[in-house]
Formats: sequence, structure tokens, C-alpha cells
Amino acid sequence: MPNDQFILLFYLFWWGARIRGFFRRWPQPLLRGSEWFFNVHVQPGFYAGPGKKILHRYRMRMFIPFVLDIPIVMAIFIPGYLQYFIWLLLAQAGVIHLNHVFSVDIAERQARRFAIADAEQPAAAISFSLQPRRLRDYTNPKVEWALVLSFLATFLWLLHYYFAAPEHHNLRQVFGVPVFYLYLQLGLLFVKQVIVAWRTPVPQTQAAEHIKAREETRKYYLLMCDLNRAAVAAATLFWPIVLTASPAASIRYRNLWIAVWVAITVVNGVWVEIKRKQLLKMALRARPVKLPDFLQQSEIARWPLCYQPSAPMLVLKGARGYSLNLANTLAQFGAVYLAGWVVLFAFLRMGH
Amino acid sequence: MLLTINTDDPRPIYQQVADGIKQLIAGGKLEEGAALPPVRQLAADLGVNLNTIATAYRELQKEGLITVKHGSGSVVASLTSTERNQDELLRPLRTALTQMVLAGLPESKILRLVINELHLVGKGSK
Repeated sequence: MPNDQFILLFYLFWWGARIRGFFRRWPQPLLRGSEWFFNVHVQPGFYAGPGKKILHRYRMRMFIPFVLDIPIVMAIFIPGYLQYFIWLLLAQAGVIHLNHVFSVDIAERQARRFAIADAEQPAAAISFSLQPRRLRDYTNPKVEWALVLSFLATFLWLLHYYFAAPEHHNLRQVFGVPVFYLYLQLGLLFVKQVIVAWRTPVPQTQAAEHIKAREETRKYYLLMCDLNRAAVAAATLFWPIVLTASPAASIRYRNLWIAVWVAITVVNGVWVEIKRKQLLKMALRARPVKLPDFLQQSEIARWPLCYQPSAPMLVLKGARGYSLNLANTLAQFGAVYLAGWVVLFAFLRMGH
Repeated sequence: MLLTINTDDPRPIYQQVADGIKQLIAGGKLEEGAALPPVRQLAADLGVNLNTIATAYRELQKEGLITVKHGSGSVVASLTSTERNQDELLRPLRTALTQMVLAGLPESKILRLVINELHLVGKGSK
């Protein structure tokens, strides 16, 4: 299968996942019943009155990523730059997620004006766990060793391949792909760190249910990260196989790789759906409660970006939605990591 | 293991955190050598200033209840390592007893209350 067809197939799969996500988000405001709008306990008759418009606007905002998609897809498809589809879907994954997060926040703020007064009072008591949360507590050493060994094996194989005839090989061409994957691995480890640091304040009432739901969700996302890391490690190991094979064998291997990848994606898709349903069931058992805002976040975080060294959170819930705290170490690491991508691309393209 | 902060409690948050950890240590739920969460994790979970939790940990460290090791976090210290003398330990008890006497409670009731509280605090230890 040629590269372009493979990318197109990948893009179609992406659309499948996207449509599934769309239908999952559509009924989300009503999952707790007609007395609720997401996590806001609304007055009776809300959906017949102001809620109808708020719900409609929320659903309309779900189409924003699709609207953004159309001109970009045409700009890529018409001149035949199919290789850019990968970048498009990576960007779209971020856009869809951010659009949803901000859209839910906007909708909840609008619905709060019609909430039951008592439900909007912050809980008087807040509980938190004294269990330390470190990356190593959520790490499986066997998996880590397997990933490290796969990378070592790849690099040793490529070193042997390159030094066998250095005059015939381009250093960037041989090592560019594994270096790219290695950096991607670092990024996924960073995402794991962010998930581990995800804050877990819970109200005193139903504290156990809230903590269980949060912890299971945390474990699910960490597992997803590890699955992606395993996929990246497999792709890294696959690179020297393709590189060192004859052209005919290389095509065979690639087709086999695509077939395996498609099968894994389908199985993974089914598993994700089952797991999401289990997590949702668990989350619905814990009744949403407004927690006290000790830091006056709406006062200190007025814009999407803020700098609050005394606030320990990566993301603050500000006056106009979420605000990324640039004083947080994780935000700074993230910025350095993104800058690293630019440097890496510049370096890899230098040889072209 | 959960700790609770109450917004209606007149004590400042750092004091509630420190007192809560002290109770867990006294009750044997936090044993010697048990790791405590980093200041940043606790502060983020509660949504409070970093200094609030740092102050609570400083107080616990000053009282010899926890030891802070750079790089490996804070752990519960050995209960025998406290350097505070008996007078210092008795001071809050005297204050509480004085308040009870002034409130007009009979000696027998005060004794019963103290014994009950001691049982509650020490529940689970040893």
C-alpha cells in the first residue's frame, strides 16, 4: 500500500473515532437526568425554558472543529499534499478537546444562573488524600524496561547499519525517525506526569465514591498513555526492519504492519468504549458538589494564560474559563518541550 | 487515608492540616517512616497557596513529628524523637482544662471527657 493511501486510511479511521466522540458528547449535559445540566443542579423546567437555548448553543459549538476542518482538508486534498493529513489530525485532536472543555465551561456558567440556590453553595468540608502521588507509583518497571530495551535495540541496529557503509547512508535519514519517536516518547512521559499531578479535591460527603471515580479515570488515562508509548516503541523497532529490507520485502512488511495496526485499532476502539462506559457509571454515582475556592481563582486568573507563582495548579478556573498557569513547573516544561519540537524539526530538515 | 478541611472551622487552613496529620500520627494511622505527599500535591489538591501547606509541614517538622528529606519528601518521624519537654506538652492541656473548669464542669465529667478524648486520639495506635 503506498504511503498516501495509508495516510488516507489513517484519516478515515480518525473520522470514525471522531464521529463516535461526537455522539458521545451530544447527550452529555443530560447524563445525570433532567434535573441536571452537566454538573449543575438546575431548577425544574430548565430544559423547557432557558436551558433549551443553552443546550442548543452547546451542541452548535460541537460543530466548530468540523467547520474549521473543511477549508484545511480542501487545501491539503486538492493539491495532493496528503502527508499533511497527519499534522491536521494531530492539530484537530487538540482543537476538539479544547473546544469541548471550553464549551462545557461556557454552558455550565450560563446554566448556573438557573441553578437551585442551595446546590451552588460550596461544600463546607473538603477532603483530600494523604497518599503521595508520584510518577513511580503509577509505573510498571517491566513495561519501562521493555520500552528502554526496544529503543536500545533499534539504535544499536541502526548504528551497525550506518557504520557498515557510512558513505552510502544519510545520517539524518537513518536516525531521524527514531529520534522523532524518542522525543515523542518523552512527550508521552510528560503527559503521564501531568495526569499524575491532576488534582483530586473531593467533598466530605461521598468522598470515597469521588476519590474512586477520580483514581479510576486517572489510571485509565495513564494506561492509554502507556499503550501509546508501546505503539511508538513498536513503530521505532519497525523502522530498521523496513530500512534494511529489500524494496519488495519492505512493501510486504509495511502491508503486514498496516493490517496489524488496523486490527489493534479496532480491538482498542471496542475496549475504550467499554472502559468509558464503566468510568461514566462510576462518575455518575458521585453527586457533583461545588468546592470552596480558597485562592479566589476568578480574581487571579482573568485570561487564558496567567502567571501565579503562589498557586500550585497547572490550570486555574478563571473568570472567563480555564487559565494556564505559566508559573507552574509543568507548564514551563511543556513550553520547553514544544520548543524542542521546533528545534528537532529544523535539525531534521537541514539535510533535505 | 483522608484528611478533611472545614471552611466553618475558625482555625486557619494550615493549622487544620497540621492538626489533622498530628491526629493521624497519634492514632497510628500514619506510622513511623510513612511518606507524606509533597507540598505541591497537597496544595494543588486543596487549591490553596503553596505557603499554606509549607507552613503546616514546617510546624510538624518543628514539633519533631515529620522529617523533611530533600529530594525524597517528608516522612513521619519516630515518636520518641520529639525534643519537646513535658511542660511544653502540658500547656495546651492546662488551657483546655482551665476552660472546662471555668465553664462549670464537675471534675468527674472533665475526667470522663479527657479519658474519652484520649481513647479517640489513641484509637488504632499500637
